[in-house]
Amino acid sequence: MENLVFSTWGNWKDSPGPAQTDNLPAQFGQGKPLRAFMGWDGMFVRDASVNIVDMTREYAAQAANQSCGHCSPCRECTYRMKEILERICEGQGAEDDLDMLEYMARYVMDSSYCDIGLTSPRPILDAIEHGRDDFLRAIQEKKPIPRGNYVAKVTAPCINACPSHLDIPGYVEKIHLGRWDEALEIIRQDCCLPGTIGRVCVRPCEFNCRRGLMDEPIAIKALKRFAADQELIRGVEPGFSTTETKEDKVAIIGAGPAGLACAYHLGIKGYKTTIFEALPEPGGMAKSGIPDYRLPPDILNYEVSLVEKAGAEIRYGVNVGKDITIEDLTEKGYKAVFVGVGAPEASSMRCEGEDAGYERFMTGIDFLREIAFGRRPIEGKKIAVIGGGNVAMDCVRCALRIGFDDVNLIYRRTEAEMPADPVEIEEAKEEGIKFNFLVQPIKILAENGKVSGLECLKMELGEPDDSGRRRPVPIEGSNFIIECDAMVPAIGQVVVVDRVVPEGTELTRRKTLVVDKITFQSSQPNVFGGGDCITGPATLIGALAAGKNAARFIARYLETGECRPEDTDWMEKTISDLGVYDKEETMPFVGQTRRPRQAALDPSVRIKSFKEVESGFSRADAFKEASRCLRCYRIGLAAV
Amino acid sequence: MGSENVIVIDGQEFFFSAGETILQVAQRNGFDIPTLCYLKGASPTGACRICVVELEGSQNLVASCATPAAPGMVVRTETPRVINSRRTSLEVLLASGQHNCLAQDLSMDSWTDFQVKSMAAKGHDDLCPAYGECRLQDLAVQYQVKTNHFTPADVSYPIEDVNPFIVRDFSRCILCGRCVQACNEIQVNNAISFDYRGSKSKIVTEGDLPLKDSICVFCGECVQACPVGALIPKKDLLLERSSNETRKIRTTCSYCGVGCQLYLHVRNNKVVKVTGVEDVGPNFGSLCVKGRFGYDFINDPERLKIPLIKENGKFREASWDEALNLIAEKLTRIKKESGPDSIMVLSSARITNEENYLAQKFARAVIGTNNIDHCARL
Ligand SMILES: Cc1cc2nc3c(=O)[nH]c(=O)nc-3n(C[C@H](O)[C@H](O)[C@H](O)COP(=O)(O)OP(=O)(O)OC[C@H]3O[C@@H](n4cnc5c(N)ncnc54)[C@H](O)[C@@H]3O)c2cc1C
Ligand code: SF4
Ligand code: SF4
Ligand code: SF4
Ligand code: FES
Repeated sequence: MENLVFSTWGNWKDSPGPAQTDNLPAQFGQGKPLRAFMGWDGMFVRDASVNIVDMTREYAAQAANQSCGHCSPCRECTYRMKEILERICEGQGAEDDLDMLEYMARYVMDSSYCDIGLTSPRPILDAIEHGRDDFLRAIQEKKPIPRGNYVAKVTAPCINACPSHLDIPGYVEKIHLGRWDEALEIIRQDCCLPGTIGRVCVRPCEFNCRRGLMDEPIAIKALKRFAADQELIRGVEPGFSTTETKEDKVAIIGAGPAGLACAYHLGIKGYKTTIFEALPEPGGMAKSGIPDYRLPPDILNYEVSLVEKAGAEIRYGVNVGKDITIEDLTEKGYKAVFVGVGAPEASSMRCEGEDAGYERFMTGIDFLREIAFGRRPIEGKKIAVIGGGNVAMDCVRCALRIGFDDVNLIYRRTEAEMPADPVEIEEAKEEGIKFNFLVQPIKILAENGKVSGLECLKMELGEPDDSGRRRPVPIEGSNFIIECDAMVPAIGQVVVVDRVVPEGTELTRRKTLVVDKITFQSSQPNVFGGGDCITGPATLIGALAAGKNAARFIARYLETGECRPEDTDWMEKTISDLGVYDKEETMPFVGQTRRPRQAALDPSVRIKSFKEVESGFSRADAFKEASRCLRCYRIGLAAV
Repeated sequence: MGSENVIVIDGQEFFFSAGETILQVAQRNGFDIPTLCYLKGASPTGACRICVVELEGSQNLVASCATPAAPGMVVRTETPRVINSRRTSLEVLLASGQHNCLAQDLSMDSWTDFQVKSMAAKGHDDLCPAYGECRLQDLAVQYQVKTNHFTPADVSYPIEDVNPFIVRDFSRCILCGRCVQACNEIQVNNAISFDYRGSKSKIVTEGDLPLKDSICVFCGECVQACPVGALIPKKDLLLERSSNETRKIRTTCSYCGVGCQLYLHVRNNKVVKVTGVEDVGPNFGSLCVKGRFGYDFINDPERLKIPLIKENGKFREASWDEALNLIAEKLTRIKKESGPDSIMVLSSARITNEENYLAQKFARAVIGTNNIDHCARL
């Protein structure tokens, strides 16, 4: 409640409802107070000296600017509202201006198509209601009002949930209009691997999609893939708008998603980069982890070739830390270094025998990498894969494809707690994988140095743990043996960034690189880092976002020697703190349209090869799906 | 009621089938919900907001054309809130450009100012040519719209008339998007689309080029779809205004074998315009550039109406009997001298199936040759 002049935040939810007064952000960046905020759910003012009339003018200008122009109320009235407010602020307001403003605001809010029109008038009405005297004074005094300092940002529930903040409604709309190339252009601004992400993203956006509250979330991932595929199908040359070439060169360690994104976005800004990659091929875990049936190699390779076109040179077979050090790179004239080395080592299972060096025992990521490079990693007929995440899913489905007859997944909790994507679980079941739940391995058994079985304990679910999932507890004396002749633990990876960065660079206890959350700068000013090596095993889109943002700050660092967050970065944080997706929201009606499904190969066919399982949307399906988007754009404006 | 497919409209219950919109259910049951942007046969865009209705549980009004009916919905179609919204939509649309017609209910002084200003613009020396056939005007009258709340907007984009068929008058475009739907979803030409944003919105071709430099084929589907005076056949503008009545005569297009149904608009015994007949096959209102715009030949003075026989290098008029006798005589002679296969019969796509049948019968049975072909194969 501290310093709150007034708040209407949230009162529009079930209008009129109670406004939120607690837990509203008070800070805007380091040491800067947030003086006032206007947005989709109302407004709050913390500093009485904020000129509410001026702020409303700015907000209305943003609304008019964001109006796409497709529906009459918003197109015809947001700009008229802006004009009236401009007039008032220039000292030329008229008596009936306020009535007209309120009339138009209510009409736009009542009758528009999407949330720009439906939500942007709300804080304008709030401002007039709470600051009527200020408005009347401005109209009567007829003096120009000086402009204050504001930061604006457009978001949406899906955009906010996406680590890289793709303009999802923007590209979905372009697909709806049949302008696929423009859709892809929008996607590439924040994601340089659209065909990859369009196939394997964990899609936090879809879990935060408002359409999901009506019937089913928009198939955001599949639509992205559609746009990417159209470029290839139609043989369109993607357009780049690289700026003039800059002098400074940047070294990037690791050609995984984080490194590629950093190189791409630096390339667009005119910087040449050299990527040093230990393996003989690019892509990081997208290449050596994710199997071909989920992500065909030609898609990834094509997208990497575009990163090269944007200005990156990739040197393969160079292990930084071993073959060359970051200090060497600095000496060679690389003015900044981006570390994107991922989380390459398997975590230990804490199970007797895992370090014994038995034959036919291999960690999940080694197993997948061998397969990715076209080799058969281990022999055998009956395999046990241990773990419940996506890596474990990839291992079991790959095991089937390389010829294991009997594939068993072993997981210590139940299906409900599995972190793997439900779609993956479903597809694995269809393919005939056997799931063993509530089983904990305790000892690896071997004969003649070869894996022969796994001693396990039965488990039951107890109290919830930190992650909120119920903790599995062993049942005393329930030991039993699962016979098998090959074994793959897939229970996670660890980061070993200490091998790469110069001594003295700040690391966490888990050996991840410590970087600033916004700028991605490490404790060494010229060393930046992002992706799995700062977070531990995470997601592709998270790595792409890190690479993209780091590129922006590397450029700043090179140009100014400094590296500080900008107002728009703090605004992003303010908006995330406020929250954009409201999963309690009651929608006006129950939706009647489901998303189309992408066609998938029949299980009996797909287990015979590494051919891609899913094919993309048809044009008709993409069009139909895109038309379901509610365009939940929201405008936020902060006075700072 | 529960999960049954029933909705309540203005207090009465109605069944609906899956996929039907509120508008479809309402119209099927005799409710008069006005529409402007909704184009039959294309997917709804929800752009104009004229068809809004009140929906219980929704904070805002919803577009009935774009909202699928869901079990248990309670809809009201004529509340003061609904009427007010529709009226305001009509007002802002009328004020959005140069809609200089009598729907423009301005005070006397500003009406004259407005007309003078409108008529000063290129191609605007008269009232809007859609006068009397304008959906916006009709609705403005029906909803008794007062337009003096909003000052009319200035012309944002100049008229484009650099082609022989279609005039695009952006100052009268209400951005309903029907032309876009017609072009992209009905004709599937994909020649036009929305571009720019907000109050600068415009219907454009790729690269915002004139129609003639785009992939537009001048089928005129957009012209037929345009509810106002923003897309007009160029020839309409050349017509002098006349008090003589225009009659619409339904007929079948004579250009090809598809058999499109069309209306000839006839005034003073002259065809002055062609439009497609909506709601009937095979074309459901669609026409091609020839069918829609290629009607001048009918009144052309050069058109052959009487058979001509060439004698000594000059044509002279003849009777049908004389002409046919001459042809029969010559064909018989050629057949006798050079054999039937020295003759070929070429028929046309512009005649009916039956006539084409007779043509081949004539070739095979009368002349005795298989040399029969058809211009549509060339
Ligand atoms: C099997 C598996 C499946 C996955 N599936 C998905 C999925 O479906 N969706 C999803 O979003 N995420 C998935 N992930 C996670 C995702 O792949 C990672 O989060 C992402 O690849 C991290 O990107 P990164 O660039 O940080 O690191 P990485 O992808 O690990 O790339 C690091 C690169 O650096 C190279 N490198 C490492 N050390 C050095 C060195 N010293 N010198 C030079 N080069 C070096 C590595 O060879 C590698 O190419 C999966 C991960 C795995 C293991
Ligand atoms: S932004 Fe939304 S509300 Fe505004 S014109 Fe476009 S569709 Fe209408
Ligand atoms: S409906 Fe569209 S804009 Fe709204 S959250 Fe979903 S994808 Fe985003
Ligand atoms: S030209 Fe006509 S049909 Fe097309 S958007 Fe404008 S008013 Fe609508
Ligand atoms: S007719 Fe429904 S929005 Fe235009």
